[in-house]
Amino acid sequence: MGSRSGHFLVAGVGVAMFLTASIPGRAFAQDGETIFNGTCKACHTIGGGRLVGPDLAGVSTRQSEAWLIAFIQHSQTVIASGDSDAVALAAEYPGISMPDWPLSDDQVRGVLAYIQQQESAGPAPVAAGAASLQPGDPVLGRNLFQGTTRFDNGGPACNSCHDVTHEDVIGGGILAKDLTTVFTRLGGPGVRAIVGSPPFPVMQRAFQSRPLTDQEVGALVAFLEQADAEQSLHQPLDYGLGLLVTGLGSAVILLGLYSLIWRRRRRGPVNRAVFDRQVRST
Amino acid sequence: MLNLFLFVGLPYMAFIVCTVGIVYRYRRKGFTVSSLSSQFLEGKELFWGSVPFHIGILVVFFGHLTTFLVPRATLAWNSIPVRLLILEVTAFTFGLTVLIGLAALMYRRFTTPRVRAVTTGMDIVLEGLLLAQVVFGLWIALGYRWGASWFASDLSPYLWSLVKLSPETTAVFALPWVIKAHIVGAFTIVLIIPFTRLIHFFVAPLNYIARPYQQVIWNWDRRAIRDPGTAWSPTQPRNN
Repeated sequence: MGSRSGHFLVAGVGVAMFLTASIPGRAFAQDGETIFNGTCKACHTIGGGRLVGPDLAGVSTRQSEAWLIAFIQHSQTVIASGDSDAVALAAEYPGISMPDWPLSDDQVRGVLAYIQQQESAGPAPVAAGAASLQPGDPVLGRNLFQGTTRFDNGGPACNSCHDVTHEDVIGGGILAKDLTTVFTRLGGPGVRAIVGSPPFPVMQRAFQSRPLTDQEVGALVAFLEQADAEQSLHQPLDYGLGLLVTGLGSAVILLGLYSLIWRRRRRGPVNRAVFDRQVRST
Repeated sequence: MLNLFLFVGLPYMAFIVCTVGIVYRYRRKGFTVSSLSSQFLEGKELFWGSVPFHIGILVVFFGHLTTFLVPRATLAWNSIPVRLLILEVTAFTFGLTVLIGLAALMYRRFTTPRVRAVTTGMDIVLEGLLLAQVVFGLWIALGYRWGASWFASDLSPYLWSLVKLSPETTAVFALPWVIKAHIVGAFTIVLIIPFTRLIHFFVAPLNYIARPYQQVIWNWDRRAIRDPGTAWSPTQPRNN
Protein backbone atom coordinates (compact mmCIF):
# COMPACT_ATOMS: atom_id res chain seq x y z
CA MET A 1 0.00 0.00 0.00
CA GLY A 2 1.55 3.29 -1.08
CA SER A 3 1.65 6.38 1.11
CA ARG A 4 -1.06 8.06 -0.97
CA SER A 5 -3.27 5.04 -0.56
CA GLY A 6 -2.62 5.35 3.15
CA HIS A 7 -3.87 8.93 3.00
CA PHE A 8 -7.12 7.70 1.46
CA LEU A 9 -7.54 5.23 4.28
CA VAL A 10 -6.90 7.89 6.91
CA ALA A 11 -9.35 10.25 5.19
CA GLY A 12 -11.91 7.45 5.05
CA VAL A 13 -11.52 6.75 8.77
CA GLY A 14 -12.10 10.46 9.39
CA VAL A 15 -15.26 10.43 7.31
CA ALA A 16 -16.49 7.33 9.10
CA MET A 17 -15.88 8.87 12.53
CA PHE A 18 -17.76 11.99 11.44
CA LEU A 19 -20.67 9.94 10.12
CA THR A 20 -20.76 7.84 13.27
CA ALA A 21 -20.82 10.91 15.48
CA SER A 22 -23.38 12.74 13.37
CA ILE A 23 -26.01 9.99 13.38
CA PRO A 24 -28.83 11.44 15.44
CA GLY A 25 -30.20 8.84 17.85
CA ARG A 26 -33.07 8.05 15.49
CA ALA A 27 -34.08 4.87 17.23
CA PHE A 28 -33.92 6.57 20.58
CA ALA A 29 -35.78 9.79 19.82
CA GLN A 30 -38.87 8.56 21.61
CA ASP A 31 -40.59 9.52 24.80
CA GLY A 32 -41.45 7.21 27.69
CA GLU A 33 -44.90 6.31 26.39
CA THR A 34 -43.67 5.40 22.90
CA ILE A 35 -40.85 3.30 24.30
CA PHE A 36 -43.20 1.57 26.74
CA ASN A 37 -45.70 0.74 23.99
CA GLY A 38 -43.06 -0.49 21.56
CA THR A 39 -40.78 -2.29 23.99
CA CYS A 40 -42.47 -3.20 27.29
CA LYS A 41 -46.17 -3.54 26.63
CA ALA A 42 -46.05 -6.97 24.98
CA CYS A 43 -44.90 -8.56 28.25
CA HIS A 44 -45.86 -6.16 31.05
CA THR A 45 -48.99 -4.39 32.24
CA ILE A 46 -49.32 -1.39 34.52
CA GLY A 47 -51.86 -2.50 37.09
CA GLY A 48 -53.35 -5.10 34.75
CA GLY A 49 -51.72 -8.08 36.45
CA ARG A 50 -49.00 -10.51 35.49
CA LEU A 51 -48.54 -11.21 31.75
CA VAL A 52 -45.25 -12.66 30.41
CA GLY A 53 -43.37 -10.66 33.02
CA PRO A 54 -44.47 -8.95 36.24
CA ASP A 55 -47.01 -6.15 36.57
CA LEU A 56 -45.01 -2.92 36.59
CA ALA A 57 -47.39 -0.91 38.78
CA GLY A 58 -45.39 0.35 41.74
CA VAL A 59 -42.10 -0.90 40.35
CA SER A 60 -40.37 2.35 41.32
CA THR A 61 -41.32 1.84 44.95
CA ARG A 62 -40.09 -1.79 44.93
CA GLN A 63 -36.64 -1.04 43.45
CA SER A 64 -34.25 1.88 43.27
CA GLU A 65 -33.95 3.81 40.03
CA ALA A 66 -30.32 2.76 39.60
CA TRP A 67 -31.28 -0.93 39.96
CA LEU A 68 -34.10 -0.58 37.43
CA ILE A 69 -31.87 1.18 34.89
CA ALA A 70 -29.23 -1.53 35.21
CA PHE A 71 -31.77 -4.37 35.03
CA ILE A 72 -33.65 -2.97 32.02
CA GLN A 73 -30.42 -2.35 30.13
CA HIS A 74 -28.69 -5.65 30.99
CA SER A 75 -31.00 -7.99 32.88
CA GLN A 76 -28.95 -11.14 32.34
CA THR A 77 -25.76 -9.45 33.50
CA VAL A 78 -27.48 -8.31 36.70
CA ILE A 79 -28.84 -11.83 37.30
CA ALA A 80 -25.42 -13.35 36.63
CA SER A 81 -23.86 -10.93 39.12
CA GLY A 82 -25.85 -12.71 41.84
CA ASP A 83 -28.03 -9.76 42.82
CA SER A 84 -30.60 -11.36 45.16
CA ASP A 85 -33.64 -9.49 43.82
CA ALA A 86 -32.70 -10.24 40.21
CA VAL A 87 -32.09 -13.92 40.97
CA ALA A 88 -35.46 -14.16 42.74
CA LEU A 89 -37.16 -12.58 39.74
CA ALA A 90 -35.48 -15.04 37.35
CA ALA A 91 -36.63 -17.93 39.57
CA GLU A 92 -40.20 -16.61 39.55
CA TYR A 93 -40.26 -16.56 35.73
CA PRO A 94 -38.32 -19.68 34.71
CA GLY A 95 -37.44 -20.06 31.03
CA ILE A 96 -38.11 -16.41 30.28
CA SER A 97 -35.29 -13.96 29.89
CA MET A 98 -35.83 -10.28 29.23
CA PRO A 99 -33.73 -9.02 26.30
CA ASP A 100 -31.13 -6.30 26.88
CA TRP A 101 -32.59 -3.01 25.74
CA PRO A 102 -30.31 -0.43 24.11
CA LEU A 103 -31.92 2.42 26.03
CA SER A 104 -30.05 5.33 27.59
CA ASP A 105 -30.40 6.11 31.32
CA ASP A 106 -32.65 9.07 30.47
CA GLN A 107 -34.88 6.95 28.26
CA VAL A 108 -35.35 4.41 31.06
CA ARG A 109 -36.18 7.30 33.42
CA GLY A 110 -38.76 8.45 30.85
CA VAL A 111 -40.37 4.98 30.83
CA LEU A 112 -40.41 4.90 34.66
CA ALA A 113 -42.03 8.35 34.73
CA TYR A 114 -44.67 7.12 32.26
CA ILE A 115 -45.37 4.06 34.43
CA GLN A 116 -45.82 6.28 37.51
CA GLN A 117 -48.13 8.57 35.54
CA GLN A 118 -50.23 5.58 34.42
CA GLU A 119 -50.40 4.20 37.97
CA SER A 120 -52.07 7.38 39.17
CA ALA A 121 -54.46 7.23 36.19
CA GLY A 122 -55.73 3.78 37.26
CA PRO A 123 -55.24 0.24 35.89
CA ALA A 124 -54.44 0.07 32.20
CA PRO A 125 -56.05 -2.42 29.85
CA VAL A 126 -54.11 -5.58 29.06
CA ALA A 127 -51.53 -5.34 26.27
CA ALA A 128 -52.60 -4.84 22.71
CA GLY A 129 -53.29 -8.15 21.07
CA ALA A 130 -53.91 -9.80 24.39
CA ALA A 131 -57.59 -8.92 24.36
CA SER A 132 -59.82 -11.93 24.22
CA LEU A 133 -60.10 -13.14 20.64
CA GLN A 134 -62.03 -15.97 19.06
CA PRO A 135 -60.16 -19.28 19.29
CA GLY A 136 -57.96 -19.59 16.20
CA ASP A 137 -57.67 -22.33 13.60
CA PRO A 138 -54.55 -24.42 14.32
CA VAL A 139 -54.33 -25.66 10.71
CA LEU A 140 -54.22 -22.09 9.44
CA GLY A 141 -51.70 -21.36 12.17
CA ARG A 142 -49.51 -24.25 11.02
CA ASN A 143 -49.60 -23.00 7.42
CA LEU A 144 -48.82 -19.46 8.51
CA PHE A 145 -45.98 -20.73 10.69
CA GLN A 146 -44.16 -22.36 7.78
CA GLY A 147 -45.24 -19.83 5.16
CA THR A 148 -47.41 -21.98 2.89
CA THR A 149 -50.11 -19.42 3.70
CA ARG A 150 -48.59 -15.94 3.54
CA PHE A 151 -49.41 -13.28 6.13
CA ASP A 152 -51.86 -10.73 4.71
CA ASN A 153 -49.44 -7.86 5.21
CA GLY A 154 -46.44 -9.72 3.77
CA GLY A 155 -44.50 -10.45 6.97
CA PRO A 156 -41.97 -13.32 6.94
CA ALA A 157 -43.09 -16.81 8.01
CA CYS A 158 -42.35 -17.71 11.64
CA ASN A 159 -40.09 -20.57 10.56
CA SER A 160 -37.59 -18.04 9.17
CA CYS A 161 -36.24 -17.77 12.71
CA HIS A 162 -38.20 -20.17 14.96
CA ASP A 163 -38.40 -23.94 15.15
CA VAL A 164 -41.20 -26.05 16.61
CA THR A 165 -41.31 -29.82 17.13
CA HIS A 166 -44.03 -30.84 14.72
CA GLU A 167 -43.92 -33.38 11.88
CA ASP A 168 -46.21 -31.37 9.61
CA VAL A 169 -43.88 -28.39 9.34
CA ILE A 170 -40.34 -28.35 8.02
CA GLY A 171 -37.58 -27.68 10.51
CA GLY A 172 -37.74 -24.02 11.37
CA GLY A 173 -35.03 -21.46 11.84
CA ILE A 174 -32.76 -21.39 14.85
CA LEU A 175 -31.87 -17.71 14.90
CA ALA A 176 -34.47 -17.22 17.63
CA LYS A 177 -36.01 -19.40 20.35
CA ASP A 178 -37.58 -22.82 19.77
CA LEU A 179 -41.31 -22.33 20.27
CA THR A 180 -42.31 -25.93 21.06
CA THR A 181 -42.92 -25.23 24.73
CA VAL A 182 -43.71 -21.55 24.47
CA PHE A 183 -47.30 -22.08 25.56
CA THR A 184 -46.23 -23.72 28.80
CA ARG A 185 -43.59 -21.07 29.41
CA LEU A 186 -45.55 -17.91 28.67
CA GLY A 187 -49.19 -18.93 28.86
CA GLY A 188 -51.86 -18.08 26.28
CA PRO A 189 -52.10 -14.34 26.98
CA GLY A 190 -48.31 -14.03 26.94
CA VAL A 191 -47.95 -15.80 23.58
CA ARG A 192 -50.80 -13.75 22.15
CA ALA A 193 -49.24 -10.51 23.39
CA ILE A 194 -45.78 -11.28 21.98
CA VAL A 195 -47.05 -12.53 18.61
CA GLY A 196 -49.32 -9.51 18.26
CA SER A 197 -46.81 -6.91 19.39
CA PRO A 198 -43.28 -8.31 19.30
CA PRO A 199 -40.94 -6.74 21.85
CA PHE A 200 -37.69 -8.14 20.40
CA PRO A 201 -35.73 -5.80 18.06
CA VAL A 202 -35.09 -8.36 15.30
CA MET A 203 -38.73 -9.52 15.27
CA GLN A 204 -39.95 -5.95 15.57
CA ARG A 205 -38.01 -4.94 12.45
CA ALA A 206 -39.23 -7.96 10.50
CA PHE A 207 -42.87 -7.05 11.15
CA GLN A 208 -42.47 -3.29 11.10
CA SER A 209 -45.22 -1.91 8.85
CA ARG A 210 -46.31 -5.51 8.23
CA PRO A 211 -48.34 -6.34 11.37
CA LEU A 212 -50.27 -9.57 11.80
CA THR A 213 -54.06 -9.49 11.70
CA ASP A 214 -56.10 -10.60 14.74
CA GLN A 215 -57.15 -13.74 12.86
CA GLU A 216 -53.50 -14.61 12.13
CA VAL A 217 -52.49 -14.04 15.74
CA GLY A 218 -55.33 -16.28 16.93
CA ALA A 219 -54.42 -19.03 14.47
CA LEU A 220 -50.74 -18.98 15.43
CA VAL A 221 -51.57 -19.10 19.14
CA ALA A 222 -53.87 -22.07 18.50
CA PHE A 223 -51.14 -23.88 16.53
CA LEU A 224 -48.52 -23.22 19.20
CA GLU A 225 -50.89 -24.46 21.89
CA GLN A 226 -51.51 -27.64 19.90
CA ALA A 227 -47.78 -28.13 19.16
CA ASP A 228 -46.98 -27.73 22.86
CA ALA A 229 -49.61 -30.26 23.88
CA GLU A 230 -48.68 -32.82 21.20
CA GLN A 231 -44.91 -32.45 21.23
CA SER A 232 -44.27 -35.96 22.56
CA LEU A 233 -46.15 -37.43 19.57
CA HIS A 234 -43.92 -35.80 16.96
CA GLN A 235 -40.48 -36.88 15.82
CA PRO A 236 -39.55 -34.50 13.00
CA LEU A 237 -36.45 -34.87 10.82
CA ASP A 238 -33.19 -33.23 11.86
CA TYR A 239 -33.01 -30.51 9.23
CA GLY A 240 -29.66 -29.17 10.48
CA LEU A 241 -27.98 -32.55 9.96
CA GLY A 242 -29.81 -32.91 6.64
CA LEU A 243 -28.48 -29.56 5.45
CA LEU A 244 -24.92 -30.50 6.41
CA VAL A 245 -24.96 -33.96 4.82
CA THR A 246 -26.76 -32.84 1.64
CA GLY A 247 -24.40 -29.89 1.31
CA LEU A 248 -21.28 -32.06 1.69
CA GLY A 249 -22.60 -34.64 -0.78
CA SER A 250 -23.56 -31.96 -3.30
CA ALA A 251 -20.16 -30.29 -2.97
CA VAL A 252 -18.39 -33.57 -3.82
CA ILE A 253 -20.67 -34.05 -6.85
CA LEU A 254 -20.01 -30.46 -7.92
CA LEU A 255 -16.23 -30.95 -7.75
CA GLY A 256 -16.59 -34.11 -9.87
CA LEU A 257 -18.65 -32.13 -12.36
CA TYR A 258 -15.99 -29.43 -12.59
CA SER A 259 -13.36 -32.07 -13.20
CA LEU A 260 -15.48 -33.52 -16.00
CA ILE A 261 -16.27 -30.18 -17.63
CA TRP A 262 -12.63 -29.15 -17.60
CA ARG A 263 -11.28 -32.63 -18.40
CA ARG A 264 -9.04 -31.21 -21.13
CA ARG A 265 -7.41 -28.76 -18.77
CA ARG A 266 -3.66 -28.47 -18.53
CA ARG A 267 -2.42 -30.49 -15.62
CA GLY A 268 0.94 -28.79 -15.28
CA PRO A 269 2.60 -25.47 -15.90
CA VAL A 270 1.99 -23.98 -19.34
CA ASN A 271 5.68 -24.12 -20.19
CA ARG A 272 6.26 -27.75 -19.20
CA ALA A 273 5.44 -29.01 -22.71
CA VAL A 274 7.92 -26.49 -24.09
CA PHE A 275 10.70 -27.73 -21.82
CA ASP A 276 9.85 -31.34 -22.62
CA ARG A 277 10.09 -30.69 -26.36
CA GLN A 278 13.43 -28.99 -25.93
CA VAL A 279 14.72 -31.99 -24.00
CA ARG A 280 13.41 -34.35 -26.70
CA SER A 281 14.90 -32.32 -29.53
CA THR A 282 18.43 -32.24 -28.11
CA MET B 1 -20.45 3.65 20.03
CA LEU B 2 -18.48 0.67 18.70
CA ASN B 3 -21.66 -0.76 17.15
CA LEU B 4 -22.40 2.60 15.52
CA PHE B 5 -18.89 2.72 14.09
CA LEU B 6 -19.04 -0.85 12.76
CA PHE B 7 -22.54 -0.72 11.27
CA VAL B 8 -22.84 2.92 10.22
CA GLY B 9 -19.38 4.50 9.98
CA LEU B 10 -17.54 1.50 8.53
CA PRO B 11 -19.92 0.86 5.61
CA TYR B 12 -19.81 4.47 4.45
CA MET B 13 -16.07 4.61 4.95
CA ALA B 14 -15.67 1.36 3.00
CA PHE B 15 -17.62 2.59 -0.01
CA ILE B 16 -15.93 6.00 -0.06
CA VAL B 17 -12.41 4.58 0.26
CA CYS B 18 -13.23 1.86 -2.27
CA THR B 19 -14.58 4.28 -4.87
CA VAL B 20 -11.83 6.87 -4.48
CA GLY B 21 -9.16 4.18 -4.24
CA ILE B 22 -10.24 2.41 -7.41
CA VAL B 23 -10.32 5.65 -9.40
CA TYR B 24 -6.90 6.62 -8.05
CA ARG B 25 -5.35 3.23 -8.72
CA TYR B 26 -6.80 3.05 -12.23
CA ARG B 27 -5.62 6.54 -13.17
CA ARG B 28 -2.21 6.45 -11.52
CA LYS B 29 -1.24 2.80 -11.57
CA GLY B 30 -3.38 1.38 -14.34
CA PHE B 31 -1.06 -1.52 -15.08
CA THR B 32 -1.56 -2.89 -11.56
CA VAL B 33 -5.33 -3.22 -12.15
CA SER B 34 -5.15 -6.98 -12.50
CA SER B 35 -5.38 -10.11 -10.41
CA LEU B 36 -1.80 -10.99 -11.40
CA SER B 37 -2.38 -14.53 -12.59
CA SER B 38 0.03 -17.15 -11.31
CA GLN B 39 -1.12 -19.83 -13.73
CA PHE B 40 2.26 -19.77 -15.47
CA LEU B 41 3.93 -20.56 -12.17
CA GLU B 42 1.72 -23.44 -11.09
CA GLY B 43 -1.33 -24.82 -12.86
CA LYS B 44 -2.33 -28.22 -11.49
CA GLU B 45 -3.30 -27.27 -7.94
CA LEU B 46 -4.66 -23.97 -9.20
CA PHE B 47 -7.58 -25.75 -10.88
CA TRP B 48 -8.85 -27.30 -7.63
CA GLY B 49 -8.59 -23.94 -5.91
CA SER B 50 -9.57 -21.36 -8.45
CA VAL B 51 -12.52 -23.06 -10.13
CA PRO B 52 -14.52 -24.15 -7.02
CA PHE B 53 -13.64 -20.87 -5.30
CA HIS B 54 -14.65 -18.53 -8.11
CA ILE B 55 -17.82 -20.32 -9.20
CA GLY B 56 -18.86 -20.74 -5.57
CA ILE B 57 -18.24 -17.16 -4.58
CA LEU B 58 -20.09 -15.82 -7.62
CA VAL B 59 -23.16 -17.92 -6.78
CA VAL B 60 -23.03 -16.96 -3.09
CA PHE B 61 -22.40 -13.28 -3.83
CA PHE B 62 -25.26 -13.00 -6.30
CA GLY B 63 -27.50 -14.89 -3.87
CA HIS B 64 -26.81 -12.26 -1.18
CA LEU B 65 -27.26 -9.48 -3.75
CA THR B 66 -30.60 -10.84 -4.94
CA THR B 67 -31.97 -11.08 -1.40
CA PHE B 68 -30.80 -7.52 -0.75
CA LEU B 69 -32.38 -6.19 -3.94
CA VAL B 70 -35.69 -8.10 -3.92
CA PRO B 71 -36.43 -9.21 -0.34
CA ARG B 72 -40.16 -9.64 -0.93
CA ALA B 73 -39.61 -11.91 -3.92
CA THR B 74 -37.17 -13.95 -1.81
CA LEU B 75 -39.77 -14.35 0.95
CA ALA B 76 -42.37 -15.34 -1.65
CA TRP B 77 -39.96 -17.96 -3.04
CA ASN B 78 -39.27 -19.29 0.45
CA SER B 79 -42.97 -19.61 1.28
CA ILE B 80 -42.96 -23.11 -0.25
CA PRO B 81 -40.84 -25.24 2.10
CA VAL B 82 -39.23 -27.29 -0.69
CA ARG B 83 -38.11 -24.13 -2.45
CA LEU B 84 -36.61 -22.80 0.80
CA LEU B 85 -34.70 -26.08 1.22
CA ILE B 86 -33.46 -25.98 -2.40
CA LEU B 87 -32.24 -22.41 -1.94
CA GLU B 88 -30.50 -23.11 1.38
CA VAL B 89 -28.86 -26.36 0.23
CA THR B 90 -27.66 -24.73 -3.00
CA ALA B 91 -26.20 -21.75 -1.17
CA PHE B 92 -24.58 -23.99 1.47
CA THR B 93 -23.12 -26.29 -1.21
CA PHE B 94 -21.52 -23.45 -3.14
CA GLY B 95 -20.36 -21.96 0.16
CA LEU B 96 -18.60 -25.25 0.92
CA THR B 97 -16.89 -25.20 -2.48
CA VAL B 98 -15.70 -21.66 -1.70
CA LEU B 99 -14.12 -23.02 1.50
CA ILE B 100 -12.58 -26.01 -0.29
CA GLY B 101 -11.27 -23.81 -3.11
CA LEU B 102 -9.90 -21.16 -0.77
CA ALA B 103 -8.17 -23.78 1.38
CA ALA B 104 -6.60 -25.27 -1.76
CA LEU B 105 -5.47 -21.84 -2.95
CA MET B 106 -3.94 -20.99 0.43
CA TYR B 107 -2.18 -24.37 0.62
CA ARG B 108 -0.81 -23.80 -2.89
CA ARG B 109 0.30 -20.28 -2.05
CA PHE B 110 2.24 -21.37 1.03
CA THR B 111 3.73 -24.59 -0.35
CA THR B 112 4.70 -23.64 -3.91
CA PRO B 113 7.96 -21.66 -3.84
CA ARG B 114 7.25 -19.98 -7.18
CA VAL B 115 3.86 -18.71 -5.98
CA ARG B 116 5.24 -17.77 -2.57
CA ALA B 117 7.83 -15.63 -4.31
CA VAL B 118 5.12 -13.41 -5.83
CA THR B 119 2.92 -13.32 -2.71
CA THR B 120 2.43 -9.90 -1.10
CA GLY B 121 1.45 -9.09 2.45
CA MET B 122 -1.96 -7.93 1.31
CA ASP B 123 -2.53 -11.29 -0.43
CA ILE B 124 -2.15 -13.00 2.94
CA VAL B 125 -4.35 -10.44 4.72
CA LEU B 126 -7.02 -10.87 2.06
CA GLU B 127 -6.96 -14.66 2.10
CA GLY B 128 -7.17 -14.66 5.91
CA LEU B 129 -10.14 -12.30 5.78
CA LEU B 130 -11.89 -14.34 3.10
CA LEU B 131 -11.30 -17.54 5.07
CA ALA B 132 -12.88 -16.00 8.19
CA GLN B 133 -15.73 -14.67 6.10
CA VAL B 134 -16.58 -18.01 4.48
CA VAL B 135 -16.25 -19.91 7.78
CA PHE B 136 -18.62 -17.43 9.45
CA GLY B 137 -20.98 -17.69 6.48
CA LEU B 138 -21.16 -21.50 6.69
CA TRP B 139 -21.48 -21.31 10.48
CA ILE B 140 -24.44 -18.93 10.06
CA ALA B 141 -26.05 -21.17 7.41
CA LEU B 142 -25.93 -24.14 9.78
CA GLY B 143 -26.15 -22.51 13.18
CA TYR B 144 -28.66 -19.75 12.47
CA ARG B 145 -30.78 -21.16 9.65
CA TRP B 146 -32.80 -20.02 7.59
CA GLY B 147 -30.70 -17.05 6.61
CA ALA B 148 -32.38 -16.58 3.25
CA SER B 149 -35.56 -15.56 5.06
CA TRP B 150 -34.27 -13.50 7.96
CA PHE B 151 -31.77 -11.71 5.70
CA ALA B 152 -34.75 -10.56 3.63
CA SER B 153 -36.66 -9.47 6.76
CA ASP B 154 -33.93 -7.78 8.77
CA LEU B 155 -30.67 -7.27 6.89
CA SER B 156 -32.12 -6.13 3.60
CA PRO B 157 -33.99 -3.25 5.33
CA TYR B 158 -30.77 -2.39 7.21
CA LEU B 159 -28.71 -2.27 4.00
CA TRP B 160 -31.40 -0.24 2.22
CA SER B 161 -31.47 2.17 5.17
CA LEU B 162 -27.73 2.72 4.59
CA VAL B 163 -28.35 3.34 0.89
CA LYS B 164 -31.05 5.88 1.79
CA LEU B 165 -28.62 7.61 4.21
CA SER B 166 -30.99 6.97 7.10
CA PRO B 167 -29.43 4.06 9.03
CA GLU B 168 -31.74 1.79 11.05
CA THR B 169 -29.53 -0.29 13.27
CA THR B 170 -31.58 -1.50 16.23
CA ALA B 171 -32.23 -4.97 14.78
CA VAL B 172 -28.63 -5.44 13.59
CA PHE B 173 -27.27 -4.54 17.03
CA ALA B 174 -29.40 -7.34 18.51
CA LEU B 175 -28.08 -10.09 16.19
CA PRO B 176 -25.64 -12.78 17.38
CA TRP B 177 -21.96 -11.84 17.17
CA VAL B 178 -21.20 -14.34 14.38
CA ILE B 179 -23.65 -12.60 12.06
CA LYS B 180 -22.31 -9.21 13.11
CA ALA B 181 -18.77 -10.39 12.37
CA HIS B 182 -19.88 -11.61 8.92
CA ILE B 183 -21.39 -8.19 8.16
CA VAL B 184 -18.32 -6.32 9.40
CA GLY B 185 -16.12 -8.71 7.38
CA ALA B 186 -18.09 -7.92 4.24
CA PHE B 187 -17.65 -4.17 4.67
CA THR B 188 -13.95 -4.67 5.43
CA ILE B 189 -13.52 -6.61 2.19
CA VAL B 190 -15.16 -3.75 0.27
CA LEU B 191 -12.81 -1.35 2.08
CA ILE B 192 -9.64 -3.12 1.00
CA ILE B 193 -10.60 -3.75 -2.64
CA PRO B 194 -8.37 -0.96 -4.00
CA PHE B 195 -5.36 -2.16 -1.98
CA THR B 196 -5.50 -5.81 -2.99
CA ARG B 197 -5.83 -8.15 -5.96
CA LEU B 198 -9.61 -7.80 -5.54
CA ILE B 199 -9.23 -4.84 -7.88
CA HIS B 200 -9.63 -7.39 -10.66
CA PHE B 201 -13.43 -7.11 -10.15
CA PHE B 202 -13.16 -3.83 -11.99
CA VAL B 203 -10.81 -4.76 -14.79
CA ALA B 204 -12.00 -2.81 -17.80
CA PRO B 205 -13.29 -3.70 -20.28
CA LEU B 206 -15.74 -5.76 -18.29
CA ASN B 207 -16.18 -8.25 -21.12
CA TYR B 208 -13.12 -9.93 -19.56
CA ILE B 209 -15.29 -12.87 -18.55
CA ALA B 210 -16.79 -13.42 -21.98
CA ARG B 211 -13.67 -12.70 -24.05
CA PRO B 212 -12.16 -15.38 -26.31
CA TYR B 213 -9.50 -17.56 -24.75
CA GLN B 214 -6.01 -16.17 -24.71
CA GLN B 215 -3.75 -18.57 -26.52
CA VAL B 216 -0.14 -19.03 -25.69
CA ILE B 217 1.40 -20.44 -28.89
CA TRP B 218 4.90 -21.76 -29.06
CA ASN B 219 6.23 -21.30 -32.55
CA TRP B 220 7.55 -24.82 -32.76
CA ASP B 221 6.63 -25.83 -36.24
CA ARG B 222 7.89 -23.13 -38.54
CA ARG B 223 5.80 -24.32 -41.45
CA ALA B 224 2.60 -24.58 -39.44
CA ILE B 225 2.72 -20.99 -38.20
CA ARG B 226 2.74 -19.81 -41.82
CA ASP B 227 -0.58 -21.59 -42.35
CA PRO B 228 -3.28 -18.92 -41.98
CA GLY B 229 -5.75 -21.62 -40.87
CA THR B 230 -4.00 -22.13 -37.53
CA ALA B 231 -3.80 -18.58 -36.21
CA TRP B 232 -7.28 -18.15 -34.69
CA SER B 233 -8.24 -21.76 -34.20
CA PRO B 234 -10.75 -21.91 -31.33
CA THR B 235 -9.31 -25.21 -30.11
CA GLN B 236 -5.84 -26.49 -29.40
CA PRO B 237 -3.58 -25.00 -32.09
CA ARG B 238 -2.01 -27.55 -34.37
CA ASN B 239 1.45 -26.18 -33.85
CA ASN B 240 1.52 -26.70 -30.12
